[in-house]
This record gives sequence, structure tokens and C-alpha cells, in this order.
Amino acid sequence: MKTALLLALLILSDTLSDVSLAKGMKQIGALHTLHLRALLVLGSKMARNGAVLLGLLSMIAGFLTFLVVLSWADLSFIVPATSLHFVLATLGAKWILQEHISRVRWFGTILVGLGVALLSLP
Amino acid sequence: MKTAVVLLLALLAQAGGNVCLSTGMREMSAASQLGGPGIVSLLLRGLTNPTIWLGMGLLGVFFGLYAATLSWADLSVVLPATALGYVINVACGAYVLHEAVPPARWAGALLIGLGVCCVSWSERRTALPGKTPGDP
Repeated sequence: MKTALLLALLILSDTLSDVSLAKGMKQIGALHTLHLRALLVLGSKMARNGAVLLGLLSMIAGFLTFLVVLSWADLSFIVPATSLHFVLATLGAKWILQEHISRVRWFGTILVGLGVALLSLP
Repeated sequence: MKTAVVLLLALLAQAGGNVCLSTGMREMSAASQLGGPGIVSLLLRGLTNPTIWLGMGLLGVFFGLYAATLSWADLSVVLPATALGYVINVACGAYVLHEAVPPARWAGALLIGLGVCCVSWSERRTALPGKTPGDP
């Protein structure tokens, strides 16, 4: 029960993190160069973008949860068990980020989800 | 190509970070009870462990590279591609941490590889007619 609750928290944190971070980075704009000045400007914009910060906070929340769960459960079980966030985040990409997701892409995503579920089997 | 290279670097950093964290947490005694003081004590002890710090640094590298990729590529492409990290994690669990990995998990790894190929192919099909969102 303890593991299930923390896994649910981990999945929700990961999903919110992915969708928020993607939204924020799209608002900021594509990175086209690796020059130090451009990277500093990018970092500054990220630090002032609400969606990026929400994504970062969610990632930290998920990270802390992950850290605690890892202390009693196997890495090769816990990491694959969070696979549900693939489906939730792809739905978020479609509905919130308005991404076009073709049938081939859905098929690939489902294969990935099945593969991760298979990885989770004890 | 740029997306694939940056994502591969991100996934390697993530896998290294996860292994360091797992190793670091096991260097300390496992948290047998999850009361509030238990969690706080566990996290505080984690902050004094150099392996944990190395793991967090590597995950920071992952975050930067992942965020950079999301600045030009679709989440619905990048996210399934990160599933390759699960394969790397299972391999690390098997060969670095010496955890038992049954054949079903390796079959799952194969499915993930096929799925990522499909997603990658769909991205190329989207990019071919006009603009190139994945590889500017």
C-alpha cells in the first residue's frame, strides 16, 4: 500500500513535469546554438518562466518520492512501474500542447507502454 | 539527428544518476518505517552521501538536455524516445547492481525499441513534406 501510494504520486509528478516543461520551453523558443551566451540567456528565460518552474518543482517532487521508494524497492521494478505517465503525458501533449499525434505515433507509444509494462513484471 | 544525439546523452546521464542514487541509498540503511521523521532523517542522511550528490548532478545534466530537446521537438516524440532509458536502467540493474532480470523484461526492452522506432518514423514522416521540427 505504501509503495502504491508513492508510485501514484511519482506518476502524477512526472506527468505534470513533462507537460509543463514542454509548454514552457515552447514558449521560450527553440535552442539553435550551444554558445555560452545563448545558454545563459536560455537559462535566464527558463528561470523566469512559470511553466518551466512548475515543471521543475514537479520533477523535484517526483525525484524526492523516487529517492524514498528506492530505499526499499528494486530500481529495475520502480522505474518501469511508472510507465503510466507515458500515456498520461501523451494525452496532455494532445489536449494541452495541441500536438498532432498520428496513428503511427500512437502505435509506437502504445508499444512503448506495453514494453514498459512487460519490464515491470516480477 | 540533433534530437537523437542530445537525447542519448540525456538518457546516459539519467541512467548514471539513477544507478548512483540507488547505490547511495543502499549504502545507508533502508528506511523501514515511513513516518514524517523517518523520511526527513532519510533525506538528510542522503544529503551527506557523495554518491547521492553525484547522482543528483547527473540528473541535473539530464534535466538541462531534456529541456533543450523539448524546446524544438514535440513532447509526444521526445517522451516515448526517453523510454530507451528504461532499457538502459534494466541493463544497469542487471550488470552494475547485479539484480535478477527475467527474460520477460528483456522482451519488454525489445518492445520499447520497436515502439521508439515507430515514433521516430512518424516524426520523420511529419518532417519530410515541409518544415523540419525535429532536426532544424
